[in-house]
Amino acid sequence: MTKTQMTRKDYLLDQKQKGRHIFGVFPAQYPKELLWAMNVVPAEIWDPPVEITAANAHLQPYICSVVRFGLELVLEGKCDFLDGFLFPHTCDSIQNMASVIHDYIGANKPCYFFYHPKNPHGKAAREYYVLELKNLMRSLEKQLGPLNPDALKQRIQQGHKISSLFGEFYDLRAKGELDVGNGEFYEQIRRGEYLFPDDLIPELEGFLARNKGKGEKRLMPVILSGVLPNPPEILTLFDELGVRVSHDDLLIGSRRLLVPPSNLKDPFKQLAESYFSMPPCSTKGAPIVKRREYLLSLIKATGAKGVIFNVVKFCEPEWFDVPNLTDELKKRGTPTLVLDTELNQGLSGQMKTRVEAFVEMIS
Amino acid sequence: MSFAQKARYNFMKDLGAPALMWLRQSQRKKRPRKPNPYLGPPLKCAGRLREIMTRHYYLSRFSKGAKPVAWVTSGAPVELLRVFDFYTIYPENHGALCGAQKKGPEICSEAEKKGYHPDLCSYARIDLGHAFSGKTPAGRLPRPDLLFCANNICQTVLYWYKELSYYWNIPLIIFDTPYNFQDIREKDIEYMVCQFEEMIPELERISGCKYSHDRFMKIIGIARESASTWGRVLATMKHRPAPISIFDAFVHLAPIVSLRGLPIALDYYRILLDELEERVAKGIGAVTNESKRLMWDNIAVWFKLRDWSLLFAERGLNFVAATYTNAWAETIHYLDEMSPFESMARAYSLVVLNNSLNYRLKLMEQMIRDYQVDGLVILSLRSCKPYSVGQYDLRRLLGERLGIKSVVIESDMTDFRAYSEEQTRTRLEAFFEALEV
Repeated sequence: MTKTQMTRKDYLLDQKQKGRHIFGVFPAQYPKELLWAMNVVPAEIWDPPVEITAANAHLQPYICSVVRFGLELVLEGKCDFLDGFLFPHTCDSIQNMASVIHDYIGANKPCYFFYHPKNPHGKAAREYYVLELKNLMRSLEKQLGPLNPDALKQRIQQGHKISSLFGEFYDLRAKGELDVGNGEFYEQIRRGEYLFPDDLIPELEGFLARNKGKGEKRLMPVILSGVLPNPPEILTLFDELGVRVSHDDLLIGSRRLLVPPSNLKDPFKQLAESYFSMPPCSTKGAPIVKRREYLLSLIKATGAKGVIFNVVKFCEPEWFDVPNLTDELKKRGTPTLVLDTELNQGLSGQMKTRVEAFVEMIS
Repeated sequence: MSFAQKARYNFMKDLGAPALMWLRQSQRKKRPRKPNPYLGPPLKCAGRLREIMTRHYYLSRFSKGAKPVAWVTSGAPVELLRVFDFYTIYPENHGALCGAQKKGPEICSEAEKKGYHPDLCSYARIDLGHAFSGKTPAGRLPRPDLLFCANNICQTVLYWYKELSYYWNIPLIIFDTPYNFQDIREKDIEYMVCQFEEMIPELERISGCKYSHDRFMKIIGIARESASTWGRVLATMKHRPAPISIFDAFVHLAPIVSLRGLPIALDYYRILLDELEERVAKGIGAVTNESKRLMWDNIAVWFKLRDWSLLFAERGLNFVAATYTNAWAETIHYLDEMSPFESMARAYSLVVLNNSLNYRLKLMEQMIRDYQVDGLVILSLRSCKPYSVGQYDLRRLLGERLGIKSVVIESDMTDFRAYSEEQTRTRLEAFFEALEV
C-alpha cells in the first residue's frame, strides 16, 4: 500500500513501527522542523471525525469545536498510541485545555508546551522565540535523546522545499492552472498535517506533476479565510457552483504553509526569522492593518471576486478581526460572506442558501 | 499638552471636583436606609469610595490634552505608566460599572451592530460599543493617546485592544507574559524585562515625559503597600463572622484595579481596613446570622450583586473568599524597589489566570482551608474562557479532595441577555438543600 492510499491512522502506526515517535500536536503554530529532526512525526489534531460525548463532562458548550474535538479524541483513548503531546499557545481555550489534559485528566504521556510571543514587534520577542525553541529542544532531548545538529539543518531544508511546493500549489491555483476540485486541493494541503517530510515531498511533487497546467480558468475565483475548510461539504458546494478557491487566508493554509526561507547560518535563528516573516495571523497578535493588506494582496494577485470568512463558532481571535476586515474589503468593492461554522456538522440548508446567494451576487 | 488644558484640569482637580462632590453630597437626600434584618450595617467608608471613583471618572473628562491618557487592562503593570503621568482608564472597570447599572446589553448591541459577535467577551463589546457610540453611564470618557495591554489575564484583551488601536489609529503597547504551563522560568522573566526596556522610549515619546527611576521606585512602593493592604482587607474575612462579604469586596476592588500606584488607593484601603478591624473587634458581620461560608470562582455578575447578596444572606450564607478579588493581592508582594523590573515581571506574570490549572486548584484548596469555606459557587462565564475552561474538573477535584459542596451557574458578567433567572434559581435551590440551609 502506498502512502497516498493509507489512512492517516495506518500511516502513523506504520511510522511508529519504523521507529519514529508519534506526537499529537494541537493547533496551530509550532516548529515542525525541530520535531522532524528528533525523529518525531507530528500528527496535528484539528477536526477529528469523532462524536463529542465524553468531552461534555469537561468543557462548556461555548468552547470552540476544535478544542472539544481534540479533548474528545484524547478521552476516547484514540491517542493512546501516541508518544507525547505538544500544545502550542494559540488561544485561551487551547491553553486551558492543555492544562486540563496535563493537570486534571492525566495524559500518561509527556506533554510539551510551546509559547510563541504575542508581541511580535520588538527584538525581545525574536530573542525569546529562539530561547523557546532551544527550551523545547532540551525538553524533547530528555525523552528522545540528543538532537543531531545536521539533522536539524536537513529538516529545515526540507521545510523550505515543502513551503516552496505549497507556494507553487497556491500560484497555480491562483492562475487556474491546477486540475483539481476544491476538495481535492485541500485534501492534499492537509496531508501536511501528518506526513513526515520524506513522504510529504514526493507526494506533493507527484500531485503537481499529475495536475499542473490543466486547470479550468473560467471558474469564479474567491478567497477563503478563517481557520480550516470544514465542513468539507462546503468545498463540494463550491465545485458545484463553479467557484475556485483561488487562494486562502486559512490558519491551516497559507498563514502557516507559506514560510519564507531564511539565509541565516544559525538554524534556530533561521527558524525564528521564518516564523516572524510568515503571513499575518490573528493567533500571533498580528495588527489588523497587516491582515487587511495581506487579504488585499491575495485579491489583487488572484483576481478574486469575493472573500468568504468561514469562521469556527466561538473562535475569539478570528471573530474579533472579522468586522474590520469585512468592512475594509467592502469599502474597496470586494463582497464578503461570513459563515459561523460548527465543525463536522455538515452543510446546513441555511448555509448552502447563503453561499449560493453570495456566488450569484458576485457572478 | 496645552497650557490652557492643563490649567483647566488643575482647576477642576483642586477646586471644581471637590466643589462638585460637596454639592452632590449636600443635595443627596438623607433618607434613613431601612435596615435589612439579614445584612450587617453598611460600611461607613462606602461613601468615600463612591466619592473617589466619581471624582476619578469626572476628572477624566478634563484630562485630555492636560495629561497623556492611557486605556489599560486590569492586569497590566500600570506602575510604569504612572512614572510618565498618564491618566489611566480601565475599560474592564468601566464595563463593570455599565453592568452594575444594567446598561450592558444596550452598549454591547452598539458593537454587535458593527459586526462583533454576541459570543465575544461582553467587557470588550461594551468598550467597543462605547467607542462607536459614546454611550456610557460615566458621562464621558477621554479618548486615549495610548492603549496598554497585558495578556496575563487572557488573550482576549489582545484581540480587543488591537481593534481599538485600529479604530482610533493610536499606539498599542503589549506586555506579553508567557503562560506558566509549569513553573516560571528565568528566560520568561528576562523576556518581560526586555519588553519593559523597549517600552520606555515609546512611553517617553507618547507622554513627552522623561523616565525617572526614583519616581518609579516610589510608585512601586506605593503599589506594593496598597495591594498588601487590600490583601489584609480580604484577610479580615477569615474571622467569624466575616466583617464584609465578597459582594462588598467586588465593589471595593475598584481603587486597587483603577488607581493602583497612586497614594489615594493606599489611603482608602487603610481607612477601610481600620473600619473592618473595628467591626471584627465588635463582632459585626456582613451577614447577621452567618451560618455557612462560601467561596466564589470567577468575575462578579455585576447586575445581580444586590439581589444575590440578599438571596444568600437570607439563608445565613456569606461569601468570604474569591479567586477574583484575591488576584490583586496574591502576587504584588513580589514588587521590590531594589529590582523593579524583574520583580514587576514576576508579580504580573504569576497571577492566577496566567498559571496552570494545577496552580489554581492548589490556591483554591488553600483558600478553602484558610477561610473555612463550606461551599463553592462556580460561575461559568462564556465571556471569559481562561476563567471558565477547566471549571468542571476543578469542581470535581475539589469535591473529591475536600468533600466540598458546589454548584455551577451560568451567566455573563454584564450582558443579562445571557442569564436565565429560572435556571439559576433552580440550581441554587438545589445547592441550598445540599448545604442544609
